[in-house]
Amino acid sequence: MEKFEPVIIAFVCNWCTYTAADLAGTSRLSYPDNVRLIRVMCTGMVDPQYVIKAFLEGADGVLVSGCHPGDCHYINGNYKARRRIKLLKEILPRFGIEKDRLRLTWIGASDGIEFAEVMTRLNDQIIEMGPSQARLSKAI
Amino acid sequence: MIAKIGCEENSPAKGLRRFFNQVLETQGIDALFLPVRLKGSTSIMPALVTDPAQLEAAVPLSPAFSINSARMVSRLSYKASGRKTAVFLRPCEMRAFIELIKLKQGSRQELILIGMDCPKALTSSDYAAYMNQNPLDEDAYIQHVFPGPGENSKTMGREPLGSFDFSPACTTCDYPFPGNTMDMNIIVHGLDLSQGMMVESCTDRGGQILESLNLPEAGLPQGREEILMQIREANSSANQESAGEIAEKTDSILKLNAFFDRCINCYNCRNMCPVCYCKECVFNTDVFQHQPVQYHQWAEKKGSIKLPTDTIFYHLTRMAHMSHACVGCGQCSNACPSDIDVFRLFKSVANATQSAFEYVPGADENEAPPLSVFHEREFEDTVGIARE
Repeated sequence: MEKFEPVIIAFVCNWCTYTAADLAGTSRLSYPDNVRLIRVMCTGMVDPQYVIKAFLEGADGVLVSGCHPGDCHYINGNYKARRRIKLLKEILPRFGIEKDRLRLTWIGASDGIEFAEVMTRLNDQIIEMGPSQARLSKAI
Repeated sequence: MIAKIGCEENSPAKGLRRFFNQVLETQGIDALFLPVRLKGSTSIMPALVTDPAQLEAAVPLSPAFSINSARMVSRLSYKASGRKTAVFLRPCEMRAFIELIKLKQGSRQELILIGMDCPKALTSSDYAAYMNQNPLDEDAYIQHVFPGPGENSKTMGREPLGSFDFSPACTTCDYPFPGNTMDMNIIVHGLDLSQGMMVESCTDRGGQILESLNLPEAGLPQGREEILMQIREANSSANQESAGEIAEKTDSILKLNAFFDRCINCYNCRNMCPVCYCKECVFNTDVFQHQPVQYHQWAEKKGSIKLPTDTIFYHLTRMAHMSHACVGCGQCSNACPSDIDVFRLFKSVANATQSAFEYVPGADENEAPPLSVFHEREFEDTVGIARE
């Protein structure tokens, strides 16, 4: 059987997780290229709509990742993101998009190693879960 | 203060109309907003009445519910008008209006809010069909939905109206009673209607108006609490049953797609939703004015795409945007030209999101909407990638 290569969309904040990804790169750490980064200025600007769209377009996993609590460049964007992820985790599983396909993490700017580790673990988890059935259903 | 409204010519409905007449003639009240029968029609629509003579056509308690008036009251109150208006709303309309106040899309400043024990409603199409067969006898209708104490109370007003069941929004309603932050509330449950209805005041403003009307004081009827409790329990179990059925019908994206297979993207459900609060919906913006090539790319990627596109995307987004504020009025289903059971699906999602944030929309105008606030330590289990 062909090996399942998932599509994982990661919304990463400019100030922390994106910088950590950059650091991972300059430190020559590798992480699975199934993860596609989308840089946003803050996790607080990730409208639930972006996440829904990603799943409907066939993403097998979505990650939102930003600064640790208290470290947000815009003071409280990450707290707002946490509530939105909570909301989506209530709604999406009702329609067969499992809770674990949507993830929120805090990865600080200096955590290049952690970034690479988290992406690897996330990729492994999604591979284990298999393809998202939303991808197969052609629903938009 | 609780006062008796009494009957007029043995009719509780006429008694209630007289009460509204008195309210409209009260010093400092310029207008009354309540359901009125349109001239030459069986339709009952909300109206702003300034002439007491026009109140003859008012039908305060009826099975007609063609629009959630919260949006209309928002239009009347989002800026000062220099007029005082007494507003008579169903509990779900009142809760929606309170949500709009929180979003600064309405204000209580120039309003006297009058709540009611809800007389329930038929769906819009059932109402039209019902009125074709029967002229509405207001007193008989009130008697039907408010059976009062004693033997009759067992039916709790749940018996179908002729051949029509009440709207599913009404039979699954969590709060069909007025809140205690209204200025005044019309009380009907638990009363012997041959003696008329009652009105209670909950605020100082309401109290002053009520005192000026010189109505006889009264006490809440015994057994009222019990009736309210019974209705609440029956509705709550109906709600759970309905949510269970819907969950089964929509537990995958494929099934959700089938659920909305007749959706024509008319967006009526959004237009009639009293708490879909955006001034301009993103689905009306250029974001969804796709380039022709975009459709082709989608079709090439998936083999085929249904048009109009973005149907499921629209409904899921709407759930994310407004389900925390859903008051369960059922107008989304009323507005659907394709007869999709939009209401029951949205209500089932609203049950989940509202309990996740322990939020009751419309209960307290000082409680901020859950997505506008946050705490430093909360929902920590949503963070991280440990397996659940």
